[in-house]
Amino acid sequence: MRMIPCQDVLARLWDYLDGELTPREANDVRRHLELCSKCYPHFDFQRAHAQFMRGLRERQAAPDALRRAVFAVLAEREP
Amino acid sequence: MTTQAELWSRINMAWAVIARRRNDVGPPPPREAPPAPRGDEPSISLPGFTEEVLPWLDAVYRFALRLTKGDASTAEDLVQDTMLRAARFWSQYTRGTNAKAWLFTICRRVYLQDVRRPRHWRERSENALDLDVEELAGLAQVPQDRDPEQEFFHHLLDDEVLQAIDALPDEFREVLILSDLGDLRYDEIAHLLEIPKGTVKSRLSRARRQMQESLWDYAVAAGYVSAPADQETPCE
Repeated sequence: MRMIPCQDVLARLWDYLDGELTPREANDVRRHLELCSKCYPHFDFQRAHAQFMRGLRERQAAPDALRRAVFAVLAEREP
Repeated sequence: MTTQAELWSRINMAWAVIARRRNDVGPPPPREAPPAPRGDEPSISLPGFTEEVLPWLDAVYRFALRLTKGDASTAEDLVQDTMLRAARFWSQYTRGTNAKAWLFTICRRVYLQDVRRPRHWRERSENALDLDVEELAGLAQVPQDRDPEQEFFHHLLDDEVLQAIDALPDEFREVLILSDLGDLRYDEIAHLLEIPKGTVKSRLSRARRQMQESLWDYAVAAGYVSAPADQETPCE
């Protein structure tokens, strides 16, 4: 079975990591990455970026004072 | 001359690499699920509001904080205003749809109308940041005995990354925070910003590239990583 070319894989790496490809497209990219030692480092770098951003998301919560303030203003507007 | 035993050994090693990668290049993790209530949420008389809206408070705060480029005080006002308007217009929301995207839409409108001074930022040319597609390829080209991806990102602090996000032009920053911090899909972002999905992809790609470049420059300048001596070209 023929692999899709590197430039197509590199152009779709973020779509792949963002879960935006169809199952067939994702499978094509995955099969290429399994075998291509030149595209894999690109994928590894983008994935590290995505993981960092996901961690950043999980580390940032609203301050407790803000939660209390929001709940208070919502309660105030109650009939 | 390669003996048959050496040949088999090489083939086995190659298969081991492929097998390891097969597990490594799998599909991305699923999208962010609505967070579980923390238990301190008040009971609000609007049916469903407590369950559908309040769990997204942290996500709205993160979004507001980046819209305001880290101005916590303004972001907090923005969050309060967003939640109040969400309550006021709750009857217009279709329950069980996409509360997070709906809240981001309200938050952005409040920001554009009330917080940010009008600017003709949409007139900026996106081509001004039309970076070379292969430029970032160099970031991954490093000696094989190092793990540069993890090394690079492990050295960075959250503040440095947030500064890189805040330095992006508004139209790029917006899609990046909606995607990477807001965890919205491309079509949700397109709907929210009222732009084509292709534009979302294009802006997101450029935003990430610009952000990676500025972080890379920072990491090299700080001595966290060494600049690669040369670049390989992709196969084919």
